Amino acid sequence: MDFTNFDFDQLFGMKDDTNPLMMLIWILPIIIFIFYGQRIQLYVTSGEIKKGIKKLGGFREESRNELINYVNKHLNPKDNPEKKIDQFLDYFTIMPVDMDPNGIVEKVQHTVRSREDYTREHVKSLFSEINDVELSKTQTLLEIASSLQMIHKIINHMFLTAKKQNNYPLILPLQMILPFIMEQAEAMKEAIPVFKRGQPVGDGIGPMVVGKMMLHSPKEIVAFQTAVAKTEFESRKLFLLKAEGPGSTVGRPADALESIISENKLDAIIMIDAALKMEGEDSASVARGFGAAIGGIGTEKFHIEAIATKKQIPIFSIVVKQSVKEAITLMTKEIADQADDVRLQVYEMIRENTKEGQSVAIIGVGNTVGVPQ
Amino acid sequence: MFSKEKITIAYTIEKCEGCGIQKKRKFAEGDVLFSKISKCNSCDGDTVIDKIFGETIEQ
Ligand SMILES: [Zn+2]
Repeated sequence: MDFTNFDFDQLFGMKDDTNPLMMLIWILPIIIFIFYGQRIQLYVTSGEIKKGIKKLGGFREESRNELINYVNKHLNPKDNPEKKIDQFLDYFTIMPVDMDPNGIVEKVQHTVRSREDYTREHVKSLFSEINDVELSKTQTLLEIASSLQMIHKIINHMFLTAKKQNNYPLILPLQMILPFIMEQAEAMKEAIPVFKRGQPVGDGIGPMVVGKMMLHSPKEIVAFQTAVAKTEFESRKLFLLKAEGPGSTVGRPADALESIISENKLDAIIMIDAALKMEGEDSASVARGFGAAIGGIGTEKFHIEAIATKKQIPIFSIVVKQSVKEAITLMTKEIADQADDVRLQVYEMIRENTKEGQSVAIIGVGNTVGVPQ
Repeated sequence: MFSKEKITIAYTIEKCEGCGIQKKRKFAEGDVLFSKISKCNSCDGDTVIDKIFGETIEQ
């Protein structure tokens, strides 16, 4: 083909003798887009978001049904638990005022712990007898179902508002956060069977490492749902700390640390936790660093840092990287396979950072479901 | 384009504390990490549950 001879004028209909019909065909869509572009985009985006919301609604129903089935099948409730469970699912938490942030950590902690205590007591009252492990599992399932309900409610609200007002800019942020929300919600849904069966989750890698170190030593409960074992390693005193397994709990490591430090002098703190991997990072890769490795709402982290700062104790951390989904669903082989290596790294860290005769607290941070000590 | 159905199967690894021999089997209801299972066949050690994990396969 001879490109030099291309007739652009003819191709785009721009010759002087343009016929008016061609002109209309060109200009009409432009006019439509100028005036209705946003609305068209709103419709296209709406379809996608609607699909997401339908999925979220499904998750919400499924999690509620799974919870009720589990309770009815395994736990012999005194009477039909459905109504009471539905009430729990609608409970909300109002976070304290942060205009005057002084003392806010205590307030947040108080609010969150009150909620936990309340749910625990009321779940307990549904049954004539329920052991602590089943109780913690039911409480976790309840948390999952209620989070899924909340997510569905909020996303649906944002969507309906945008639709009602034909407000395209309002739907944009929704479109942007939806993939993240869906990832989280899908992970939560998939976590349900794992917690039901009491299997370890990815987040349990810290407790798994420390739990094995605690195996042949006497254990005691040092804080609410938190166990400690005292051992020795190469003439150093070790305080091994983890949430009390195999129930589903993260324990209260800060309270436990406080109690240990009130009677003992510590020279180092080592924390082992799961950490969120960045996209592109390998799952189950191990990294070391400084500072308190602990997630959650931040109250435990705050207290551990406060104790360490006051007593001038260095904190070292080892984290095992994983995705949101890996953290709350059945532990993957790759993560489980790191346990032995991480334990060796902990011993190495003890040797590197302490001298003989010193004391170290080692905290296995994370949900300890399926991981005893 | 056509995403395959993924299923996760839970496995339990039993390991002998004496000789380190490992056995992989499917997870059974009630399995808990570190719990003692039985005496080892090849030595006199105890076998305990060393790991519980999931493997995902595509169908
Ligand atoms: Zn053996």
